[in-house]
Amino acid sequence: MPATEHQSSFLRRISIRRNQVISMDGNHEQELEDLELFQKHVADWFAGLLSPSEELISSEPLMSISWLRKLVDVFLCCEAEFNTVLIMGRDPSQICKPPLDRLIPELMERAVKALDICNAVSSGIDSVRQCKRFAEIAVSALKQNPIGDGQVKRARKALSSMLTAMTIDDKENHCKSAERTWSFGRRGNTAGANKERAVGNFRSLSMIVAKNWSASKQILAMCSNLVAPRGGEPTGLASPVYILSSVMVFVMWALVAAVPCQERSGLATHFQIPRHLAWAHSIIALQERIAEEWKKKKEKCSAGLLEELQKMEKLGQSLIEFADGFQFPGETEKMDEVRAQVAELAEICRRIEEGLMPLQMQIREVFHRIVRSRTEILELVDNAGKVSQPIV
Amino acid sequence: MCNCQTIMPSYEAEQHIIAATQHILKALGASKNLSDEFKRVLTELDSHLSTMTIITETEGGRFSEIEEQLKHAERKIIRWESDPCLIWDSGPMEATEYLQAVNEILIVIESLGGLSLSENGKPKEIALRAQNALQRAMSRLEEELCHILFQHKQYFKPQYVLLHSRAEGVFYDESFASVEDEIVDETSQRDGEDRESAECYLDLVDPCVIPNIKSIANVMSASNYIQEFCEAFIDIQREALYEYLSVLEMEKLSIEDVLKLEWDCLSRKIKKWIWIMKVIISVYLASEKRLCDQILGDFGSFNSFCFIEISKDSVLCLLNFGQAITTGPQKPEKLFRLLDMYEIMADLHLEMDSLFSEDNGSFIRIEYHKLLSGLGASARETFMRFGNAIASDASIRPFPGGGIHPLVKYVMNYMRLLPDYCDTFNLLLKDQDIDESNAVVEIDNGQDFSSSTSCPMAYHLRSIASSLESNLIDKSKLYKDDSLQYIFLMNNIHYMVKKVKDSDLRLFFGDEWIRKHIGKFQQHATSYVRATWSSVVSMLRDDGNTNLKERYRRFSIAFEEVYKNQTRWCIPDLQLREDLQISTSQKVIPAYRNFVGINNRNVSDKHVKYTTDDLEELLLDLFVGSPRSLHNSRRR
Repeated sequence: MPATEHQSSFLRRISIRRNQVISMDGNHEQELEDLELFQKHVADWFAGLLSPSEELISSEPLMSISWLRKLVDVFLCCEAEFNTVLIMGRDPSQICKPPLDRLIPELMERAVKALDICNAVSSGIDSVRQCKRFAEIAVSALKQNPIGDGQVKRARKALSSMLTAMTIDDKENHCKSAERTWSFGRRGNTAGANKERAVGNFRSLSMIVAKNWSASKQILAMCSNLVAPRGGEPTGLASPVYILSSVMVFVMWALVAAVPCQERSGLATHFQIPRHLAWAHSIIALQERIAEEWKKKKEKCSAGLLEELQKMEKLGQSLIEFADGFQFPGETEKMDEVRAQVAELAEICRRIEEGLMPLQMQIREVFHRIVRSRTEILELVDNAGKVSQPIV
Repeated sequence: MCNCQTIMPSYEAEQHIIAATQHILKALGASKNLSDEFKRVLTELDSHLSTMTIITETEGGRFSEIEEQLKHAERKIIRWESDPCLIWDSGPMEATEYLQAVNEILIVIESLGGLSLSENGKPKEIALRAQNALQRAMSRLEEELCHILFQHKQYFKPQYVLLHSRAEGVFYDESFASVEDEIVDETSQRDGEDRESAECYLDLVDPCVIPNIKSIANVMSASNYIQEFCEAFIDIQREALYEYLSVLEMEKLSIEDVLKLEWDCLSRKIKKWIWIMKVIISVYLASEKRLCDQILGDFGSFNSFCFIEISKDSVLCLLNFGQAITTGPQKPEKLFRLLDMYEIMADLHLEMDSLFSEDNGSFIRIEYHKLLSGLGASARETFMRFGNAIASDASIRPFPGGGIHPLVKYVMNYMRLLPDYCDTFNLLLKDQDIDESNAVVEIDNGQDFSSSTSCPMAYHLRSIASSLESNLIDKSKLYKDDSLQYIFLMNNIHYMVKKVKDSDLRLFFGDEWIRKHIGKFQQHATSYVRATWSSVVSMLRDDGNTNLKERYRRFSIAFEEVYKNQTRWCIPDLQLREDLQISTSQKVIPAYRNFVGINNRNVSDKHVKYTTDDLEELLLDLFVGSPRSLHNSRRR
């Protein structure tokens, strides 16, 4: 289910809707129909992410770059469809009446939090890219034939920088990164030299993420007031607002879990979507799988659940181990294994090179899209009349 | 390589030795005992052979020279590993020698380059040793590089010059309480400000170490370690930029944080941001770019790669603040900050484009332009909302005394600041639909048609003035007293005209507008005189039924009533007040004087409560804004 397919089906839908709007008069039925369609699409899109077709399972595993790109695409589609449901052919006064008068401002707050998350994730993607650069150094060193001490040491140094770059942004892992970095104090002349200043491929907390900002708190805050509409049958626009919010929280949560991100403690204790909601089944299943993975990896100080990152981390550790025990010329069997690992690492680098920039661009698009929709919705609220409180 | 020939025994000599050795072996096989002399010779031969072992074991031994060279270089490299001092701190000789050693290793590697290293043997061994030595040297050079960059980085701390923004303190609040005319007068001094930032570079690293850094870059590149060089360079320089931003007191704020800030605080931060943008983009990054060019200029794409990696994060952080501002609510007071931001970004955009001209910088360029147009859209939207807010500002009670309504003060003072942003504004408004029906000025006679009155901003300004006027008319209807309606309109329109005439706004409103509006407030003045005084003066008229005494009495009562009321009213502008008092006098005094002149013989003085002079004096008390009464005290 490539991205363009969502897009085009979505565009088709808009044009159909446009025609309908004109001829429409009794719109309650239309509303229900819209909602049903929206729910169906959300369910379908996430089902595609949960169980991709046979040939994609191996090439696009859960939390791989290409899988995340699809996830982000799905978000963009949901967002666009939500806007049509909310804005098109809608009596604007509805937006100022309960429950929307409360739900919309809450959604807007969630959107602002999502913007900050997008920035943090984008910065995390930069760390992944930096990791890749170190991995490439290691690959080129270990590709030499024969492999001597010099190449092994060169690769080891690059790999340890790579592991450092992976771990720094996460508070949980600060201890680890500190011991990996070297400092200027090392050389004798310490009097004039600076206090233990970590340099040498130590990537400090990203500039764009505020000092005490916490990804996990942010996610928590996004779902603090997220409650499924009550009553037997979800009514009016409360339901689409809830759906979009849930999708937004889930996607942001998955992105935060994927790449290095500032302060993610307790991320696995995720929000709950009621199980009886049909559209949410796949989301819930995905959520459980990712949370499980997160719990499993946490003990190992994982940089993130991004498939490529995990593999890089594992290969990095293994190759460092090899480097530490290396004695020229090395056992043939061991060397064959190393060569296989190097080839794998090279392949991951290639995949990162290929997919990471597009992913980052998409996240930027999510950012701009959220900004734009937020403006549109606020305008709608504004036009609809009184805004009881200024909306931040 | 020619030396190898002299070391290698010639084929002929070798044959001799082989023959002699075979002879010795034969002799040894024949005898059981060895004489001392024989033993001694053989031992000598043995020791001679042992010194020759290496030569005979190498494949021809022709690598011993290379090996010597490598050994020599290795020694130099290893010696520094145990030395606590930095090479580049120990003097230029040491550094040169070290680099020389690395170059020797490179020569060794090169001279082995043509040989196949797959088989075991001497060349392979030497090559691996050379690679190892090279790795140690590179690791050391990286360390040295970090030290040099770190220890020789230079800070310049620019004075934070608060940009004198043209629009200070025009703050919109519901009561307009904070609006005073004076507030604005202290502003608009920003015109002389240097908009075109002079090309200025700083030395981010002490220029005397640049050749050192460059030589490290060269040798690391020659050794195929340029990636390591770049990573270390990026790391240190990026940190330096972060540090510099914190020296400039740039805060890292999330969008959520920014949206929560109070306006005053936000406004301060915006001004700071504008300043930081300028310093960072046109000075710091320009200097960083130059540094990268100096050091990495010969290494193609590594140059721009490093520059972008160093600056990307910080630039995106700066842009993110701008993004947060455009995301926030569009309150009118924000307009000038938005325009300030827009202008600085427009000013810097060429510099930005040239800093990030390469393909890999397009991401940043695109974000920059997105923000620029976002700020423009936001400013435009804010301005439109401002217009709508004026049109829809409604009052419930009449404004006491008929004086200048705070909304008018606010709007006029607000508008007065706009001409400074004329160019930007016209650019932003160019594509907007202009509701021409709202544009008050008529350009039909062609006399007033100058570029400033016909530019988009002029239309918008006049359109705002026109909504303000209609709003005033609505507000005036809240007065029950027609006369006070006229006073109110006269006052406020006069205020508008004055603000226009006394500022650059006149260029945008044009003489025609001014003439027309002078006419308007004068018309209100005339209407006032008629509405209030016609009836008072009519008391003096002989209607045939009322006797003289009664006419005097009725006139006095009517006059006192007006006096009581209208001393409370207010015309803040002294000239305007005086003018109205004069036209009032002209209506009242001649009629009264005439009346008194004709009738003074028929009525005793006690019925004449006021002399003409009294009245003239009393009229001066009107519109002062302090209520007086004539009932109890007789002024004499």
